[in-house]
Amino acid sequence: MGSSSLKSAALMEQMKLHLASDAGKQLTKKIGLVYQMNIAPKKIGVDEEVYVVDLKKGEVTKGPYVGKPDVTFSFKDDDFMAVALGKMNPQIAFIRGAMKIKGSLSAAQKFTPDIFPKPSKL
Amino acid sequence: MERCCELHPWLGDRDRLNELPDVAVVGPHAPDIRGHDPLSSLPGEYDHEQIQYPDNQGSEFLRKFHSGGHEGFEVAWNEAQQPHMPPNFQQRDNPSLFSTFDQIYDGVNAPVSRWEGPPQNILSGFLHQFVHSNQAGIPFCPATLPVMGLSQRDKHCIRDRSSIMARHFFADKSDDYINAQVNALLHSLEIDNDLQARGPPHRRFPELKQYWNESQGAAKFEAPHAEDRWVAEYDQFRPAEGPESWANSFEQQYGVDSWASQFEQEQSQVSSLGRMTGRNISNIAAMEQTRMLAETLAQNEDPKFQNSKFLQFVSKMSRGELIVDNNQVKPAVPSQSSGWVEEFDQQHNNNINSWADQFAGELPHTENAWIREFANEQQQRGNTEDQWVNEFSKLHLQDWGDEFHDQMSKGAFGDGPTDHWADEYDKFLEESLGPVQKPSGSSSGIYVFASQNPYVGHPNPLKEGQELFRNGLLSEAVLALEAEVLKNPDNAEGWRLLGIANAENDDDQQAIASMIRARDADPTNLEVLLALGVSHTNELEQAAALKYLRGWLQHHSKYGTLIPPGEPDVLVHADVAGYFNEAARMAPEDADVHIVLGVLYNLSREFDKAIASFQKALKLKPHDYSLWNKLGATQANSVQSADAIYAYQQALDLKPNYVRAWANMGISFANQGLYDKSISYYVRALSMNPKAENAWQYLRISLGCASRYDMLNACDTRNLDALQKEFPL
Repeated sequence: MGSSSLKSAALMEQMKLHLASDAGKQLTKKIGLVYQMNIAPKKIGVDEEVYVVDLKKGEVTKGPYVGKPDVTFSFKDDDFMAVALGKMNPQIAFIRGAMKIKGSLSAAQKFTPDIFPKPSKL
Repeated sequence: MERCCELHPWLGDRDRLNELPDVAVVGPHAPDIRGHDPLSSLPGEYDHEQIQYPDNQGSEFLRKFHSGGHEGFEVAWNEAQQPHMPPNFQQRDNPSLFSTFDQIYDGVNAPVSRWEGPPQNILSGFLHQFVHSNQAGIPFCPATLPVMGLSQRDKHCIRDRSSIMARHFFADKSDDYINAQVNALLHSLEIDNDLQARGPPHRRFPELKQYWNESQGAAKFEAPHAEDRWVAEYDQFRPAEGPESWANSFEQQYGVDSWASQFEQEQSQVSSLGRMTGRNISNIAAMEQTRMLAETLAQNEDPKFQNSKFLQFVSKMSRGELIVDNNQVKPAVPSQSSGWVEEFDQQHNNNINSWADQFAGELPHTENAWIREFANEQQQRGNTEDQWVNEFSKLHLQDWGDEFHDQMSKGAFGDGPTDHWADEYDKFLEESLGPVQKPSGSSSGIYVFASQNPYVGHPNPLKEGQELFRNGLLSEAVLALEAEVLKNPDNAEGWRLLGIANAENDDDQQAIASMIRARDADPTNLEVLLALGVSHTNELEQAAALKYLRGWLQHHSKYGTLIPPGEPDVLVHADVAGYFNEAARMAPEDADVHIVLGVLYNLSREFDKAIASFQKALKLKPHDYSLWNKLGATQANSVQSADAIYAYQQALDLKPNYVRAWANMGISFANQGLYDKSISYYVRALSMNPKAENAWQYLRISLGCASRYDMLNACDTRNLDALQKEFPL
């Protein structure tokens, strides 16, 4: 993952560590769903990198999910960051087309900014 | 003059205070207030033991003063001043004590002695005294000042700034103490500090704002489960009874008249002008009218309100982008000519107050164009949201989002003017979300100056800014330095310090923008290059960060030769890290090299190496607060939260008003799931810098996760008073 130039990649990396912590384990218990994120540098659908945030097993992996994820989201890098860090609310992102959803919408509802850890600043 | 005499009686005869009617000797509060004293690291320090009495007395004084008996306070105050002796004529039973006070006296005397002259001088002297009360370590004493004739706006400005400043001065003190200080200042200037006055600074359409907040806020409070939140928020958009419900409920709740009468008042001022001079003036008057309206409406920071078409329209009118001419709105909306704009225009030309009447009269009817527009859109949204909710029951819908989008683009919002409106609405939405998104987007590099800056026109803002920065008044230092770079746009030092102040104030966007200007003025300044590298690392912008960190080494007099000549096409992290490791071997005692290495390893997310580098640097520079914060942030990002909290604590002990470290503390607690705890830290950071956007967003998340839906509204309206009261640290 280190080779990616996406900001989302950095956050995914932090998410990976986060899921191993106590707070992360709580999250797994609470949500128990598999999200696949297709994240594009500039335009949705173009040059996407695919991450799986598996909140069943509590892990983050790169590459498409083997099987059927509960929801697949498509984002631009900046929009994903904005949603994950609470700058843009997911409904607005959705209405504006900044976030595309494929799969179970009831599962999509559980996708809220608080599941991602927030980066601290040097 | 007065000041020294106020102090000396306490010194000379401490017991006398027992006799004063409303003053008790050193209460139980004393230890709280003194506590630890990180201010001791600031310049101009002296032994606090020596001045402990007056400080304690003073705070007790103020506490009493604050808790009610104002007359009692004055009596006590006057009595304390009774032994009116010249400063150098005291019985010096304790010389060291007196020398301390002479120092304080010298520090505070000058401004105190000038309570005469033009109001500006008095005011500035008085405010300076407030500032100096921090350095002197004595509580600020209220004074009787001549009538200043301050405008309401000035008062708001002074109140808001003084409460932010006080949080910087007294970062180590309790909230009660800070409030007492601020109250003492405000009382002297006859400024109310109650919540009422602190509320919306505009009074023109409070009911509109209130209604909006209520209607928007209600659902948020009622949705305690995460799963329900989406649906609940969506439901807000759906009209309960039909398209007219917005207008109707507005009217029902507040009556047509209250809003309209506000309009009438404003109108009468403007329209008399318009009547006299015809169309051109009428446009100007319309602009002025709408400008006031827009300004008022814009005070509401709720994004949903900000995005409303009504506000958008009003803003456009006020900016002159829409012109009312020959009963047409130009240039953009020709088919919209029969809307309320026309009404507005007509009324404007015809007579004085009837526009407002007209407006009020039409409010309940759907013929009124803008209400219809609004209702239309509500209905559209309602429909699509119905779909949305319906789809929930199916649970396995494919690409519903695409469908929604097709609908939007095919003009589901209607044709003609509505279509235009929809586009505009979208555009406006984008605009208004733009700045909010930017922090995560690429750095724009454009510095945004404060709109009101008291330091503009200051003879030497750089010096003032340096002084304020040294005293830890970050928000004030930012203003002074902005004034400096406005005056001298090529001053690298001004831009550099501005960048550092912004970074410490937890605003990386502004920090980057100022550092870029600093680099333009002085391309080889190492501190600037490092700061840029750090800020871009924080923004997760790898390539940019790498470029600046490489630049740091390249321009270093000692290590520059380590870098091969020429600019590589693609910077490879491993290469840059390699050069720095080489430098570290050359000079293992150079803390700076370890710092840059630490930042580099953050960039590649090799946290163990980053932590090791920062720890090496800290051995060489143990008093560098920003270094402690860097260590803490690295530990936090690698999920070693307990260690991180310790490091932040070190940073805050060295610099109590380090906004970034306070915000980072909040993040650490939140990431551990300790949302309750995180809230107080975010609030503390925001009380020192209300412009720290990230902290507002994180605070909102924490409030939701801690089930404090009751305080979400305070967060959305940025009501710091309410938040501080609710979440003291």
